[in-house]
Amino acid sequence: MNTLVKLTTVETKLLTREPGSVFTLLIPLFILVVFGRSITEGDTVLLPMALTIAIGLVGLYTLPTTLATYRERGILRRLSVTPVRPGNMLAVQLLLQLVLTVATTGLLIGVGVGVLGAHMPRVLPILAAFLLGTAAMLAVGLLIASLAPNGRSANGVGVLLYFPMAYLAGIMQPPDRMPAMVARIGEYTPLGALRQSFHDVWSGTGPQPTLLVVMAAYAVVLSLVAARFFRWE
Amino acid sequence: MAVIDVTDLSKRYDDHLVLDRVSFSVEEGEVFGVLGPNGAGKTTLVECVEGLRRPDAGTVRVLGLDPLRQSPELRERVGVQLQETKLPENIRVWEALDLYASFYARPRDWRRLLEEWGLADKRDARFGKLSGGQQQRLFIALALVGDPRVAFLDELTTGLDPQARRATWELVRRIRASGVTVVLVSHFMDEVEELCDRVAILDRGRVVALDSPAGLIEGVDAEHQVRFRLTDREGTDPVGLLGGLPGVSGVTATGDEVLVTGRGDFANAVTAALAREHVLVSDLRIDRSTLDDAFVALTGRSLQT
Repeated sequence: MNTLVKLTTVETKLLTREPGSVFTLLIPLFILVVFGRSITEGDTVLLPMALTIAIGLVGLYTLPTTLATYRERGILRRLSVTPVRPGNMLAVQLLLQLVLTVATTGLLIGVGVGVLGAHMPRVLPILAAFLLGTAAMLAVGLLIASLAPNGRSANGVGVLLYFPMAYLAGIMQPPDRMPAMVARIGEYTPLGALRQSFHDVWSGTGPQPTLLVVMAAYAVVLSLVAARFFRWE
Repeated sequence: MAVIDVTDLSKRYDDHLVLDRVSFSVEEGEVFGVLGPNGAGKTTLVECVEGLRRPDAGTVRVLGLDPLRQSPELRERVGVQLQETKLPENIRVWEALDLYASFYARPRDWRRLLEEWGLADKRDARFGKLSGGQQQRLFIALALVGDPRVAFLDELTTGLDPQARRATWELVRRIRASGVTVVLVSHFMDEVEELCDRVAILDRGRVVALDSPAGLIEGVDAEHQVRFRLTDREGTDPVGLLGGLPGVSGVTATGDEVLVTGRGDFANAVTAALAREHVLVSDLRIDRSTLDDAFVALTGRSLQT
């Protein structure tokens, strides 16, 4: 137990010393605040978009880069010659990224509702969309980490994937202005399903069960593929 | 009881036989060297012994335990410094030691390790800001923080400057003095000659020789040389005086410089003969065989290439 507490403490410190993790917090906040001046109480677009960006950045950028770097530097291999299993490191990292996502989401909703005056929908639907969407994006992160040979390429793949995924998700351009076909496909991408679910929550209709299932399926399938290809060294 | 017992260990990667029936044992308290050129299979060998790799054939016992099956017990009692591993750039020295100490059931006091390894003033420094020698000392300290009975040190001084290398050697002697058995993997002759009680020379996956460094050197039947300068050339005939001594194969005198070549222990015979005849010499130099010569004799090539 002592070991896991120490590992979590040290990894948390390392996360706060990493400028990248601060950016994943600041970028969506910046977008929210800059565009949020024109926000209305009935807004159903901006806050869901900011939340989706935040979760997308953690899954595509922070998690895979950290894990691939740890493997590249031999940190996971070094752990495997101690009494601690390197799987613990993986678990601690996932937990931390989840906490980071929760913190960012809380901050964004706090600023969006408390400062900018967006309305606050019911908590349970938000929670459902958040948990499944985050699980799907962390699975994407694990998959990148398991396939990328080193930290730099994991970073590159994450950045490269971010733009098409963000476009398909309707973050770069509102979905109603995208070609109908593309918007429809986009809804079934992990990030697209997440944004649409948040949008539905803020619209008051509640998330569509299909999209929740889609996100859950991404989380399970991509994690399994990642586990199949993950190498400790 | 032997601390490490390796019998007929073989390991194949695709079509390439990396280890070919390797056998040796390491006794308690010794510094055991594994010497060989890059690609000889040294790292694969220690990784099999550490339980990081599964051998294709043969048995490995460390402290009487099977590294693959009984690895949890074993990892408590074995310290490892791996080649080419790093720590996170931003971790502080004390955090790394404190963290690794928490991995073990009965760790050593890491504060004392900090002192012992000269890292006390680097306690709060981040890993990325340490010099190569300091990083290496931290890795050794991390290998020892679990209070192991055996320590594996893989290419300990690669990338260090000569001064840092000498300092690191001193540290290895200190580990040995504390009673920890050390397995030292190296491709540096001088390092192995300086530190090891016994050395296994690995070449193309096979142990070609296993002895103390002195024993390996003695076993080489290579010609070596004694040189000196005659203080007074008049009335001395070095060729006549030394040519017939046992082991001497040639004497050449150029001006006042004399070069004697021979095999075995002829140098003592030469100096004794000079003393007996009251021949005064200066700049006496004996070029003894080195472990390098032993390596060339055993493998047919030089390690340094």
